[in-house]
Amino acid sequence: MPTPRFPIPQGTLDMLILQVLSLEPAHGYGIAQRLEQVSRQVVQVNQGSLYPALHRLEQKGWLQAEWKQSETGREAKFYSLTRSGRKQLAVERASWDRLTGAVKLIFNEGSRS
Amino acid sequence: MRRLLNWFGFRREKLESELDRELRYHIDRRIDDLVRTGLSEPEARRQAILELGGLAQVREEVRDAWLIRRLREFFHDLRFAARAFLRTPSFTATAVLSLALGIGATTAIYSLVDQVLLRQLPIRGPDRLVLIDWNGDQLADGWGSGNLMSYPICRDLQIEDRFFDGVFCRHPTTVNLSIGSETKPAAAEVVSGTYFSVLGVRPSFGRLFSNEDDRTPGAHPVVVLSHDFWHSQLGGTADVIGKKVIVNRHPMTVIGVAAAGFRGVDIGEVPSLWVPAAMKAAATPGWDRLLDRRARWMHVFGRLKPGVSLEQAKAGLQPWFKAMLQEDTRRAGFPRATAAQLQEFLGSTLELTPAPRGWSGLRQRLTQPLWVLFAATAVLLALACLNVAGLFLARGSARDREITTRMALGASRARIGRQLLAGSILIAFAGGVLGVVLAPLAAKALIAFLPRDAAAIDLQSRIDARLLLFAVAISVIAGLLSGVAPALHSGRNSLIASLRERGGTPFGGVRLRKVLVTAQIAFTLVLVVGAALFVQTLVGLMAKGPGFSTSSMVSFTLDPLRNGYSRPEASRLIRRVHADLASLPETRNFAVASTPLLSGGSWNGTMTIQTNERIVTDRIVHRNAVSPGFFATLGAQIVAGRDFNERDSRPPGQTGTRSAIINESFAKRYLGSRSPLGSRVGIGDAPDTRTDIEIVGVVADFSYRGLRDESEQAYFPIFEGRDAGGIFYLRIRGTPESAFQSIRTIVHNADPTLPLSGYRTLDEQLNRSLNTERMLATVSGGFGALALLLSLVGLYGVMSFVVTQRTREIGVRFALGATRSSALWLVLRDAIVMIAAGTAIALPCVWALGRLVESQLFGVQPTDAITIAAASLLLAAVALGAALIPAYRASIVNPTDALRFE
Repeated sequence: MPTPRFPIPQGTLDMLILQVLSLEPAHGYGIAQRLEQVSRQVVQVNQGSLYPALHRLEQKGWLQAEWKQSETGREAKFYSLTRSGRKQLAVERASWDRLTGAVKLIFNEGSRS
Repeated sequence: MRRLLNWFGFRREKLESELDRELRYHIDRRIDDLVRTGLSEPEARRQAILELGGLAQVREEVRDAWLIRRLREFFHDLRFAARAFLRTPSFTATAVLSLALGIGATTAIYSLVDQVLLRQLPIRGPDRLVLIDWNGDQLADGWGSGNLMSYPICRDLQIEDRFFDGVFCRHPTTVNLSIGSETKPAAAEVVSGTYFSVLGVRPSFGRLFSNEDDRTPGAHPVVVLSHDFWHSQLGGTADVIGKKVIVNRHPMTVIGVAAAGFRGVDIGEVPSLWVPAAMKAAATPGWDRLLDRRARWMHVFGRLKPGVSLEQAKAGLQPWFKAMLQEDTRRAGFPRATAAQLQEFLGSTLELTPAPRGWSGLRQRLTQPLWVLFAATAVLLALACLNVAGLFLARGSARDREITTRMALGASRARIGRQLLAGSILIAFAGGVLGVVLAPLAAKALIAFLPRDAAAIDLQSRIDARLLLFAVAISVIAGLLSGVAPALHSGRNSLIASLRERGGTPFGGVRLRKVLVTAQIAFTLVLVVGAALFVQTLVGLMAKGPGFSTSSMVSFTLDPLRNGYSRPEASRLIRRVHADLASLPETRNFAVASTPLLSGGSWNGTMTIQTNERIVTDRIVHRNAVSPGFFATLGAQIVAGRDFNERDSRPPGQTGTRSAIINESFAKRYLGSRSPLGSRVGIGDAPDTRTDIEIVGVVADFSYRGLRDESEQAYFPIFEGRDAGGIFYLRIRGTPESAFQSIRTIVHNADPTLPLSGYRTLDEQLNRSLNTERMLATVSGGFGALALLLSLVGLYGVMSFVVTQRTREIGVRFALGATRSSALWLVLRDAIVMIAAGTAIALPCVWALGRLVESQLFGVQPTDAITIAAASLLLAAVALGAALIPAYRASIVNPTDALRFE
């Protein structure tokens, strides 16, 4: 029996999307696959929330979109990071690091006693 | 419109189709992958969609993301606009105040339009209610106004139930109502037993009338009170059921109180109580023709059965109605008629008209004036919007650099346009809020113009949900109207030109502002001409006067029949009061009439005249019965013959008219050059009408019903049996207040329980008769003045701007030798073009609109050349005055300063 995959934590989807797109522009399906691969199928991306998130990020001006030919030859909507998106990614990453660092600190302290 | 919406960023369709494509791509790819793992294609499709959580769901969430952004931007824009407005308080105050005036006035007038003309009765299914009316000659006598029929016809229609879920009839009247010791006039409605059930009105408590309360004439002494009356006059106590009240000296029992909020079927006359038709003799003393088919006095209403259309009912009723007409002619007491009259009687049809709003004389009188005022406020509101649009444009020009800079930094035109629009909507809402605060005050002032006597008028000045909705709607429209032009215009200039701009040639904003000012001038002229016409009408009527002097004159009414007097008793009482008044030191002279003057109504009908031939008047003759000395009291001259005297009187209780006095119009129309004295007349137009009344005098024309009245009149002696009640007219010494004390003592001595009603000066009565004209003149005059002010501000604003823009150019001209007057002319020429263009646009509108107000005017044509010329001149003078200040500034430009500016 495979280990059960858990849904990605609330609020982190935006950050993960930005992270995935910081490597190269991708379309929605590509992003979904990429997220699954990268997280070695531990994280389950609810595909239903992917597209609203993409549009939200686009409206906020962190992503820009462009219709381009995909690897299958069909036109797909490719998303890429804008300059402010890149900045936002840096900000979210920093705060994520701080948060996980803090959580780790607390856990370590607990195991020491 | 669609293009406009798209332009403002609502490119819904493109967004939607792109989203579809995007999702389709995702699903197709997923299906391919799943098929590769061995699933069948339908199965793969099902799973792909399942993984997305349903397509509709995803679409909805994506749309939310779009919407949230729009909203966030909008609120950001509003905040931005609010901050900007707070920085320029005088601009903001002017704009908000302009719109508040427009919105407040429109809301106030709409509140009356809504209540008087549009609102349906608060009853069950008002849409099925129809007014049933007789179209043709009923060969009957009439009491009251409007579409009247007899009570027996109402009963017949109740039995003829193929088309109606019930039929009821009603007659408004005033009764003397005693509760405890006090007797006061109260508005009442005489109604059939079906009244409440057909209307679908329920009792607050107790019970309402049924057919059992309207069966045998005189046998059902019961009344239903209105909720308002019960609440305000009886303190809302619950023990009112079973209580005895005295209606015109007849004891009656209160059986119930009608539902709160139900105020009868006439907004102009709200009844305090309802009396069954069977008790008509008690409710309307002096005439009881309840079962007479030739007495028209009731409005008849029916409720159409579900599924029956108005046309079906109308067509279906005609055969029945024709049979009834034939039967009527064979009934005992059917009047003798000429062949022509009989033919018209038999050719009558039954008319049905939708009556979801009931019937109201007030509505019939006010329909036209209210629409005229509503149209005027709409013009005023448009004018205010134009003014605010002009202000925005001016501000836009001032902010042009800011805007072009932002565009250079990457803001889209749509984004900036939206931002400007948000600003104007914010201003409009501020104006709307202030307008809604002002509206009830304005509505109250308007309602104060309407007459009210014993019956209350069911008009409110408060703001309700409907009105609020209206105010919000027109605020949004006003915001869009005043914001669209500036928003569309924003950033139209090329970036480079604008950034390089140094106040050289005037750019685009000016042309648009000039168009706005031209439109303002056109609208203003329409309002000023309207105001001039209505003010002239009022002034003309007041200058014409009623044809007699109203100063130091008072009048009051005694109606002893309502206090249970018999006719001879009433006659004796009237004569006693008459005699007592003669000895009063305050009395100069006085007289009694049976029908009041200047009240809008009359006792009227056709008459037959016998000279060497027998002729029937082709128009209605307005008649009155008066005491000797009536004309002398008014100061109306007897131009031929004599006044009535004691020889024309008969002992109390005896009737029979022997003499008449006609007015000059009557003599001129029907007797031509012959001397009317000695000619004989009769009341009515039947072939057997006796013409045994001798014309003994001719009196100069004066107004009877109202100031516009130019009718044929005939007077009869009141002491020939028409003196069962009357209106006393006294010319007094001293103040009306001191006279009132003495008069009240006289009436009190004659009968302490007899109410003395309607005591007022004739000046006041005259004023009342001019209510509508005064309302139109006051409101349109106010609008005209406001409009002038608004367009003056608009013109001044744009001309000042032009002068500022062209300072350098003017300086150059001076340097090259231009004269001061040529600089003046340079600016004034612009203003004159705008004024001329505005006038040219307005004149055809004035001509077209004039027809709509024609019936409201008196003594002046709607296309009166002098009025229109005077209004145009006034407007031109005011506008030129406004342009003169900036023009003068241009003429004193110092060339060196202007050029140094560079």
